Amino acid sequence: MLIRLAGGRIVDPANKQDGIGDLWIRGDRIVAPPQGETPDAVYDVSDKIVMAGAIDIHSHIASGGVNTARLLLPENHRAHVPRPAATPLSTAGWSTFETGCRYAMMGFTTVIEPAVPAHQALHSHLELADVPIIDKGILAVLGDDDFLLSLLRGGGNRTAIADYVGSMLAATKAMGLKAVNPGGAIAFQNNARTFDLDDVVPFYGVTSRQIFQAMQQAAIDLGIPHPLHLHINNLGVPGNVDTAIKTIAAAEGKRIHLAHIQFYSYGKEGKRGFSSAAPRLAEAINAAPKAITVDIGQVMFRQTVTVSLDIIRQWSARPMAKPRKSVMYDGAANGAGIVPYLYKSDNFYNAVQWACGLELFLLLDDPMRSLFTTDHPNGAPYTTYPDLFALIMSRDTRAKWLADLPKEAVEMTTLPSLTREYSFSEIAAMTRVAPAKLLGLKDRGHLSPGALADVAVYNDDLDRAQMFRFAHLVFKDGDLVVRDGRVTHYRYGRTLTVQPRYGSGIDRRLAGYYDDLYGVSRNLFNVPPAEALGRDYAFEEVACGR
Amino acid sequence: MKAFVDGAAVGLDAAAAAAARVLGAARLPVIAGLGTDVAGARAAIALAEKLRGAYDHLASDVLLRDIDVMRQAGRILTTANDVRLRADCVLFVGPKLFESLPDLPKHLDLAAPPRLSVTKTRKVFWLGASRGEAAQVGATEIAASPSSLPQVLANLRAAVLERKTRANGAQKLVELAAQLKAAHFGVVVCAADSLDRLTIEMLHGLVVDLNEKTRFTTLALGPGGNALGVVQTSGWMTGFPVRTGFGRGYPEHDIWRFDANRMVEADEADAALWISAYRAEAPQWNRRIPLVALAKPQTRFAYPPRVKIEVGTPGEDHDAIEFSQEIATFALARAKNASNAPRVADVIGRIEQNLAKGSEAC
Repeated sequence: MLIRLAGGRIVDPANKQDGIGDLWIRGDRIVAPPQGETPDAVYDVSDKIVMAGAIDIHSHIASGGVNTARLLLPENHRAHVPRPAATPLSTAGWSTFETGCRYAMMGFTTVIEPAVPAHQALHSHLELADVPIIDKGILAVLGDDDFLLSLLRGGGNRTAIADYVGSMLAATKAMGLKAVNPGGAIAFQNNARTFDLDDVVPFYGVTSRQIFQAMQQAAIDLGIPHPLHLHINNLGVPGNVDTAIKTIAAAEGKRIHLAHIQFYSYGKEGKRGFSSAAPRLAEAINAAPKAITVDIGQVMFRQTVTVSLDIIRQWSARPMAKPRKSVMYDGAANGAGIVPYLYKSDNFYNAVQWACGLELFLLLDDPMRSLFTTDHPNGAPYTTYPDLFALIMSRDTRAKWLADLPKEAVEMTTLPSLTREYSFSEIAAMTRVAPAKLLGLKDRGHLSPGALADVAVYNDDLDRAQMFRFAHLVFKDGDLVVRDGRVTHYRYGRTLTVQPRYGSGIDRRLAGYYDDLYGVSRNLFNVPPAEALGRDYAFEEVACGR
Repeated sequence: MKAFVDGAAVGLDAAAAAAARVLGAARLPVIAGLGTDVAGARAAIALAEKLRGAYDHLASDVLLRDIDVMRQAGRILTTANDVRLRADCVLFVGPKLFESLPDLPKHLDLAAPPRLSVTKTRKVFWLGASRGEAAQVGATEIAASPSSLPQVLANLRAAVLERKTRANGAQKLVELAAQLKAAHFGVVVCAADSLDRLTIEMLHGLVVDLNEKTRFTTLALGPGGNALGVVQTSGWMTGFPVRTGFGRGYPEHDIWRFDANRMVEADEADAALWISAYRAEAPQWNRRIPLVALAKPQTRFAYPPRVKIEVGTPGEDHDAIEFSQEIATFALARAKNASNAPRVADVIGRIEQNLAKGSEAC
């Protein structure tokens, strides 16, 4: 099948292109304009914007915690629309099927679930198997696991740690490694209610700093494309900008990704002791080595639910739950907390948080290092992305929103003074090129010949939110799956994994360790081969550098 | 393994075709039992949507007690492994906790000190055990009959909060409360099977109160037979747990409306697909609506199913993904005695194929 997308405005910053042209697709790939061949299908996309499929590096879409949130909040996701015949469960509120469809409708074709406890990887893969259309992947969370902490307590043998991490990534079929307030879950089990970068994990005698640095090094030593993905300590705490800045320094210029930094951009100014420190954080990030990347974690005003493995943070958020109920989970090797929350535009704190995120978007100078997220669903559901695109693309839109906020909140930020407006090219860099590079996905994020034919075509609607909410056309692997903002049919994508090389002696050691400590075989925790997961589940390996 | 239509042995294809006729002709079919692995649950829920029917689970009454407390008051939960490795104080509540999980006492290994704790000793208590149970885990027993348990727990909670109580045995509860408060990382172990909703909520309140000063959490044991896995699968497929219906073309969850027994007895459901692949269990309803059963060979039905297909046991006859309470998440259970007895998911797949054929014909 040869397809020609004719006469669109092709926005492809990876190739420094922003201009009118044709894009050709053969099978599942982008191809150079063929000589003397007639396409099987031609789509007139003149006056439309053509981009590669978007990639979300941090969205909690499939895990035990997410599923607990579903079960906790039946009142929040009622469906009201009968589903179209060709797409079962596509309108079921917050189902895995709806997730795949709604991402596709916005032109997203790859989404990463970033918080999977290493012992619960199969759960996430089962959910992902029921997410249609998009490609996906998981990040495995370590950092509160006895084996790693014991290695660190014993002096932190670098080779053993890399081997262990490599073995766990292989066992979980993850595509990367994450740490969440590392050590915090164990500290909480020992009755700590706060946990900072240099606090010591009880029983193990190691600090959060030591844990994340060891994991950061392990990711580098294993040559996995995605660096350690770090959820810093003290999320949401006034004055935590200092923690973020200390953590940037502690990264020592080596590759690391710092997640949802909006939640760490808070100062303690003002009579309520809560202010935006986003300019200070942005300055620190801009000045930091290029090896340090961030995503924003924007807050938007609406009902949501926070789903996090940072149980210390979630415990402290319990009194603010709305509706007033929550689930805390002292889980094997990791905690978790599910706390519903309502972000309100007339709430001082929420308004400051919203402004902090936008300040970061507008003050961070490199879209290749500052990625677009809402930390779905923690800052806002991913379905608010279109509104967020509109906000960063237009100062007028921001001014309208700002007018509705409490004045005393606006005074705690610099947002009204910021005039920057994102271009299409910057949007594409931030949502296509940068995430592909950060994840090591060479075949996507751009429209070069040979790239995967994941393509989103948008109407050039002046209402940017409308434009990004309903893509005109979306191709996944060259297959037209969305037309005029509606999913036409299901296909199932692949799950991206890494298979790093590591010393296999660790597997023998771990076998004995699990038998002895847990009294169950380690095999019980391993993700079985794809064929056991049903629905023709398929893994695709992302190459490692070693 | 065999298949029957109106009592006569037939091939699997003929049985699937007959099942499709029964279910396809119904105005509101209900899929009940749902005693199956993840693959079976996925297939059954997808079928329910296609048929615009409803689905329920044979252990719903127990499952929904825990779920209702969670979604009304919240929960603080943990895993069996954390009890084994970190709990220095364990309080069992209610009788017959190990009935569906006979290996659990051995797995918890409570006679040994918690290996990953700064505390090197472990205290174990059991409130309201049935005879001989407490000894199994070396627990100190505090007697309470099932009927008195709610009041005893209320008194214990009052004692934890240092409120005055003149209840019988109050001194024992004051002593127990002191032990719980002295815990470093304590765990309440309970099962919805032996507690009512308010008592579970009372226990949750007790755990919340204890967390004011120390750490306490809950190991909530669920029914066996992958019941928890079916709830999880239902959760991600529709957003809701079991007792969900598709009559309007989208999922609606209502624990009264979609109670399979009620639907049948009230003449709302006009055909049923009964699934019980783990145990030889039959539907509880009395009204004789047309029944398709995917069941164990030994199952004794109150009335003969129109179609009966004998299916394999997940994890016995075939590999199966199930929720393992031992590790508090899903795991692949390899077939212990692999056979060619059909899987629930495969049988439903064939029924669906026949439904598709039927709709092409008209």
